[in-house]
Amino acid sequence: MVTAAPEKSNKQEPSGAPNASRILLAKIGLDGHDRGVKVLARSFRDAGIEVIYTGLWQTCEATMFAALQEDVDVIGVSLLSAAHMTVMPELLRLREELGLTHVPLVLGGIVPKADYPKLIDMGIAAVFNPGSSVDNIITTISELTKKRRLIVATDDVVQRFADGDARALAQVITAIQCDAPIEGWSPPKGSANVVGITGAPGVGKSSFIGKLGATLRSRGRRVAVVAIDPSSPITGGALLGDRLRMMRGTPDDAFFIRSLSTAGTSGGLAPHCADVVRAMSGFGFDDILVETVGAGQADVLVAKLVDRTLLLLMPESGDSIQFSKAGIMEIADGFVLNKCDLPGADATEAQLRGALSDDRTVWKVSAVRDLGIDAVADWVAAS
Amino acid sequence: MSVKPSIDPPASSGDGDVRKPFVGPEDLGSFDASKSLGEPGAFPYARGPHRTMYTSRLWTMRQFAGFGSAEDTNERFKYLLANGQHGLSTAFDLPTLMGRDSDDPLALGEVGRCGVAVASLADMRRLFDGIDLGSVSTSMTINAPAAILLAFYIAVAEEQGVASDKLRGTLQNDILKEFHAQNEYVFPPGPSVQLVVDTIEYCTKHLPQWNTVSVSGYHIREAGANAAEELAFTLADGMAYVQHSIDRGLDVDAFAPRLSFFFDVHNDFFEEIAKLRAARRIWAHTMRDRFGAKNERSWLLRMHCQTAGVTLTEQQPMNNVVRVAYQAMAGVLGGTQSLHTNSMDETLALPSEQAAKLALRTQQVLACETNVTQTVDPLAGSYFVEKMTNEIEAKAYAIIDQIDAMGGVLQAVDRGFFRRRIAESAHATQRSIDAGDTEIVGVNAFVDEEASGGVDILQITQQTEDMQTARLKELKATREKARHATSLDRLRQDAEDGANVMPALIEAAKAGATVGEMMETMKSVFGSYDGGPEW
Ligand SMILES: Nc1nc2c(ncn2[C@@H]2O[C@H](COP(=O)(O)OP(=O)(O)OP(=O)(O)O)[C@@H](O)[C@H]2O)c(=O)[nH]1
Ligand SMILES: [Mg+2]
Repeated sequence: MVTAAPEKSNKQEPSGAPNASRILLAKIGLDGHDRGVKVLARSFRDAGIEVIYTGLWQTCEATMFAALQEDVDVIGVSLLSAAHMTVMPELLRLREELGLTHVPLVLGGIVPKADYPKLIDMGIAAVFNPGSSVDNIITTISELTKKRRLIVATDDVVQRFADGDARALAQVITAIQCDAPIEGWSPPKGSANVVGITGAPGVGKSSFIGKLGATLRSRGRRVAVVAIDPSSPITGGALLGDRLRMMRGTPDDAFFIRSLSTAGTSGGLAPHCADVVRAMSGFGFDDILVETVGAGQADVLVAKLVDRTLLLLMPESGDSIQFSKAGIMEIADGFVLNKCDLPGADATEAQLRGALSDDRTVWKVSAVRDLGIDAVADWVAAS
Repeated sequence: MSVKPSIDPPASSGDGDVRKPFVGPEDLGSFDASKSLGEPGAFPYARGPHRTMYTSRLWTMRQFAGFGSAEDTNERFKYLLANGQHGLSTAFDLPTLMGRDSDDPLALGEVGRCGVAVASLADMRRLFDGIDLGSVSTSMTINAPAAILLAFYIAVAEEQGVASDKLRGTLQNDILKEFHAQNEYVFPPGPSVQLVVDTIEYCTKHLPQWNTVSVSGYHIREAGANAAEELAFTLADGMAYVQHSIDRGLDVDAFAPRLSFFFDVHNDFFEEIAKLRAARRIWAHTMRDRFGAKNERSWLLRMHCQTAGVTLTEQQPMNNVVRVAYQAMAGVLGGTQSLHTNSMDETLALPSEQAAKLALRTQQVLACETNVTQTVDPLAGSYFVEKMTNEIEAKAYAIIDQIDAMGGVLQAVDRGFFRRRIAESAHATQRSIDAGDTEIVGVNAFVDEEASGGVDILQITQQTEDMQTARLKELKATREKARHATSLDRLRQDAEDGANVMPALIEAAKAGATVGEMMETMKSVFGSYDGGPEW
């Protein structure tokens, strides 16, 4: 069941491991020093670990919610503002409240020696300072993930799923991903409205989904997101960074984001993606938004999985031409011209309309300025 | 203590170039000293921006420090002024730097911690209470909300009866490096730069003695860039400010002399010297040849330097004193106009008083005892230094070309170019340290088991927060509501119209609007930015 069978993970070949361990890396508060956390993120990826980075300026609460939804093996917090004696106890409190006490919490940052024992006593699994060697950190983290995998998750996951416990959904997704589905159980049939969001790298898919999701939420709809990023073909590790653009604002159980890696597959989707979407639908979400890796032509695959597909473009990108070659233009049910706060939006819109021989909708939006999102939300909601 | 049998000198510099053991005239090719170097104080300023350099005037020893409340800082300012100092250096706390009021939920635990909290005109008034703004020069390290803090300063001066053309000082006001490295941005890059241009335009007209932008490589380097990247990114940012100001219709010679620069001085002694020399040469050529500046003062790059905080180690912290001293000397041999030397305990916490004093003494020893000040640009003509200067200059030009090819700095930001380069370099450095290719004494060489924890650390008391929160509450209750609302409406309107927001900000400041309120108002027009996940 949910405890991603430890002996199975040992048998995995180095590449394409769908059950690589997962770590959440978080920065909390206003401090913007992210060199250390980014160096570590890369090193973890190179060590075959999936890293979910939540970006700057997060609150304790949002961080713990992310840990829950992502079902990570370890939570790593980077603090260079010397606020550890206020932040860490608060995180521990929230961890307990959300039922995540089995997930080790580690800290990296400028920590005076005198605080080390205090932190360990209160329940922090490890403390690193700026001089700690990356190898040591990786070894410690790997040990911690092993320990976590040996802990058998509570068996009431099916009941909790039925009760609407988001943690149960998170664990079920892990089980699906690890090819270890819960025996004799499958999620109830749902009726969610599944929309694929595709487009070239950097076109603003994640930013757009963040705003679209928030808009749908504000109308009382329950929203889930599957955000897919590529894995390293060599190590199987991955840097999953979509989430950080989506999780602004107060965390919310009915806005569920799950980051997945392609785990060595091609095609811009994660393994068992359809089952993950089915589980989310069965859990009771109204809308499910699927972000692909933006790999161009391979994204045609997404269309098979979802009810409708939106293709994102941006001004002066020249991508419209590229995409028309790739065949994704035919598959898309609508076009979202993002970044229309930048110059050239009108010209690109004209170019795009010229390339279309039918009356599929073209929306002009700006994710960063939150413009034009409402109209797309109307379309999504009116399934 | 583990001592290695012998020390192998490192074979390569940080960015992977193998260094030649001997350098001679053949390495300089068609080097022509009269063209490449010129005289000190003359185009292309490789030898320094002034003819006599330190022989007639030492660099400014500018140690930057922050104190909790406006009153504490005001007291400190008065003490410094009484002791003959004319320049005041202001460090703001993190909430202020991020454009948030002291009562913002994300400000919790940060108010007054690493600098002074200024949320309203009243705070600024307290900060400069009893100080004649017509006779001091004030430097403010502030970026995203720089225009607002400048508005406060102008309003306080007006209350004192000081005309704005008498105001002297410096704003850091370099938002681009926030997107590349330091992450203290609020609005998206495009509107952020327009806001900087608003301050440049306003100052050019009304505060002619004000240094508008301190274009900063320091934070770029600290975030992990190598020397050539620091140089190129910083100069590219400077060029972007110049280009956007020209696009606004400003005369290049009217504003360019008021731009200054801020560099990091790292461990690689000669490379750092070469970097500073190359910076002046590239800037002089760019301003004259690319932007058509006619005024010599527009060609001339003036700089502040700081020793590299990132090189300080927690292990054997006393070693940091030695690192800082070497770096300081590189800054001086590179011809800096002012210098900040780090305290040895800065990796652990805010500097203690003892460590801060030692850092200043390090500069004084350099100035008084080593005699490096007695000859202008003593390294000129060294085969090695000139070769390095040429090389780092060429590398920087190549990177600048790359940025231009993308369409300029804003486009490169949008593509994550800077962040990706910096993250790659930081990662490479870390790997090299972990592999032992780059040796750091006390960390991966000459490791000493119980050498840490030997310094006293300044403990910060947490008391300004309540006071600030109470004051904001009072301000919000007592200010004139209609005037406050009208002033923010005007700010929103001007921002929407693309007008220069400085007059509206000054009016809003006088109407009791807080930093957070003005930022929120501008956010509603400019949008906000949540950075990039580029690794
Ligand atoms: N100016 C502008 N920039 C935007 C907008 N939306 C997103 N961006 C920026 O574009 C960059 C990429 O945004 P993401 O949302 O990560 O794009 P993505 O398509 O999800 O990227 P990948 O997942 O890496 O393929 C970021 O720097 C965003 O801030 C917009 O509406 N206007
Ligand atoms: Mg994305």
